Amino acid sequence: MSIPALQFSKVTGGYRHVPVFEDLAFSIDPGTLCGVIGPNGCGKTTLIRAATGLLPRLSGSVSLFGKDVVNLKAAERAQRVGVVPQELSTPMAFTVEALVAMGRTHALGRRHTLSADDRRIIEQAMVYTDVMEMRRRPFPELSGGEKQRTVIAMVLAQQPRMILMDEATSHLDINHALEVMQIVERLNREAGVTILTVSHDLNIAAEFCERLLLLDHGRLVADGAPADVLTEERLREVYHCDVRVQSNPVNGSVMVTPSPRLAPGRSGEGIHVHCIAGGGSGEEILRRLHLCDYTVTCGVLNEGDSDSLTATALGIEGTFEQPFSAIGAQTFVEAEAQARQADAVVICPTPFGPGNAVNLDLAARALEQNIPVFLAAGVGDRDYTPDRRATKTAAQLVDQGAREWQSVTDLFTLLGELIPPQDPSTENDADHAS
Amino acid sequence: MICEPKAPCCSSRWLIVLLVLAGMLILVLCALSGPSGFGLPAIGTPVGRAILSLRLHRIVTGLVVGAALSCAGVVFQALLRNPLAEPYILGVSSGAGLGAAAAILTGFGGAVTALLLPTTAFAGAMLALLIVLAVAGGTRASVYSLILSGVIVSAIASSILMFLVATAPREGLHSVIWWMLGNLQPMSQGQMIITAAVVAGGVVAAWFIAPQLDALTLGREVAHHVGVRTELVTAIGLLLGSLLAAAAVSLAGLIGFVGLIVPHVMRSLLGPNHRRLIPATALAGGVFLAACDALARSLLAPREIPVGVLTALCGGPFFLAILKLRGRKGWIE
Repeated sequence: MSIPALQFSKVTGGYRHVPVFEDLAFSIDPGTLCGVIGPNGCGKTTLIRAATGLLPRLSGSVSLFGKDVVNLKAAERAQRVGVVPQELSTPMAFTVEALVAMGRTHALGRRHTLSADDRRIIEQAMVYTDVMEMRRRPFPELSGGEKQRTVIAMVLAQQPRMILMDEATSHLDINHALEVMQIVERLNREAGVTILTVSHDLNIAAEFCERLLLLDHGRLVADGAPADVLTEERLREVYHCDVRVQSNPVNGSVMVTPSPRLAPGRSGEGIHVHCIAGGGSGEEILRRLHLCDYTVTCGVLNEGDSDSLTATALGIEGTFEQPFSAIGAQTFVEAEAQARQADAVVICPTPFGPGNAVNLDLAARALEQNIPVFLAAGVGDRDYTPDRRATKTAAQLVDQGAREWQSVTDLFTLLGELIPPQDPSTENDADHAS
Repeated sequence: MICEPKAPCCSSRWLIVLLVLAGMLILVLCALSGPSGFGLPAIGTPVGRAILSLRLHRIVTGLVVGAALSCAGVVFQALLRNPLAEPYILGVSSGAGLGAAAAILTGFGGAVTALLLPTTAFAGAMLALLIVLAVAGGTRASVYSLILSGVIVSAIASSILMFLVATAPREGLHSVIWWMLGNLQPMSQGQMIITAAVVAGGVVAAWFIAPQLDALTLGREVAHHVGVRTELVTAIGLLLGSLLAAAAVSLAGLIGFVGLIVPHVMRSLLGPNHRRLIPATALAGGVFLAACDALARSLLAPREIPVGVLTALCGGPFFLAILKLRGRKGWIE
């Protein structure tokens, strides 16, 4: 097997004290056209910075064609890897030709003169991306597509063995985005240049790449052919939204569309959910319930607890106990009244101690009233009661029909079952509301 | 409508020839003018020879100082990607001012001051630069933190300077203010030669990083990707620019405007390519300052106007016109 073009070996890296990835490992074979996809903040752009040695304090190693990027001289690195950024701007009126010539910076001698070879390379690069006619125009005056073609010509003039595209098409309209990808694809096919493209556009990635790497929170979630990586289930999990994956009827590639079909099922209008939370375990759930238009109550919470602050901020009603005190009988009765009116009771991944374990009894009362209870799995790990009472109560709840969930996405799938099927004519309203 | 411009190399080659001719003409005119009237002084007499030598001396000083300031301006504008960047942006001017004022106000008699002043001014400038770099966090610091710490250090140094001026005795006060206005009064031969050597070396060194400066205008990351050692080049550039500015300041005091506007004008005439821009700007800055000095000497003769006053007053409208006409060939943003 040949030496990989790009290899990440157990790379941990990021900014300051926040690691963007941990133990990331993969390798890209020379001559391939690969894509990196993932939601915002998953570490796509950081990956490119790491690959070109811009990310400080790295554990693990990144190597380009067999050599660690840290040990490469600037000129050597530029011959191995070139980067097409999302957008390139210069305040100065360099002509297209001058900008493309900057790709040869690493090859310039002491006297700064371009050799006949350099000139030929620059000219070829401009012909390849079709910017020859505009070579005397100032770069800042070009349109977005022309600019990006010029930048690709600059990177080509650099003659790297691998090109990284950092969201290179995201500012372009579909026509120009396709044009740029076609140039890159041809380059890969004809000159054998390795391409790694980081992209938000799943469809373009699916169409052009032979292999996709799906990143989420700095971890490699999936790696393989587009059809294997882009599945509805996996995309829902990573992007937290409903999508439809089909085969493109024209060229047979995978096609991903955000799915409005499921959207009405996300609106919880008219459904009352009572939340048992505490210690910040309910913040995200309260926020998302609120966002999806559920009628939400919560309790019993201690005043000043971060969940009770969230509830107050969102205007959610609840039953509150004095700060730092155990739940009293009086508040329990109030909360019970609230929970009895709910259509469902959700138990967040809250740590339970002697002070708040009675909240689980609240859920038990609701269950007796045939109100469905959705319980965050793993109470045993969060049980701080001396007699492990919370664990026992949770087990009883499950016996009596409470359903367990693992992730917030799971929870919302379960809650979705409560939503009555909707009349298609009201779909748009519901879509809007969600 | 977009019309295809002519090949830039041909048109700008003519422009360069034209500029060089104009520059030489201006220098000749400078040599002919002075407080003793326009025309060649009588070379036959010792007085005439002395006058001519004095004029040539001042022309050379103007060339050296102007070249240093405008070259520093080019480098800073490229590195900081900021059109308002000028030689004094990293606190060099106020550091030098403080050093000079300290020398003037504590110096004992004229003889000591003549040697002491340039040295302390230079030392003050370099000290200010080091403080700015330390505050900003080295050359890896972002453009904004560099500019911001430059402004802060300048402000602090300026207030100390103001305090010194406010409490200074009357005779010292005049010297300090005269120095702060900037002038090309003859300095000692030795100092001239040293400064000229430093400035020439600085300009040549700046030319050596010209392609890297080109790439750095695209941003540090892009420059890194095309194979520029960005930290090294940024460090060299900032030091070179400040060194040039400090050399100029120690020779002639605080002369403004040249370092800000000459780079812009030359960029709009010749384009932003630093290989061409650096030597052209250095020459143009030198000629411009020499011409301003000639005016400063002769306009109100026998009184002399501080040259720092004239640079903006005369150069301003002229350069504004050029920028209006050709601005889009230089800085676009």
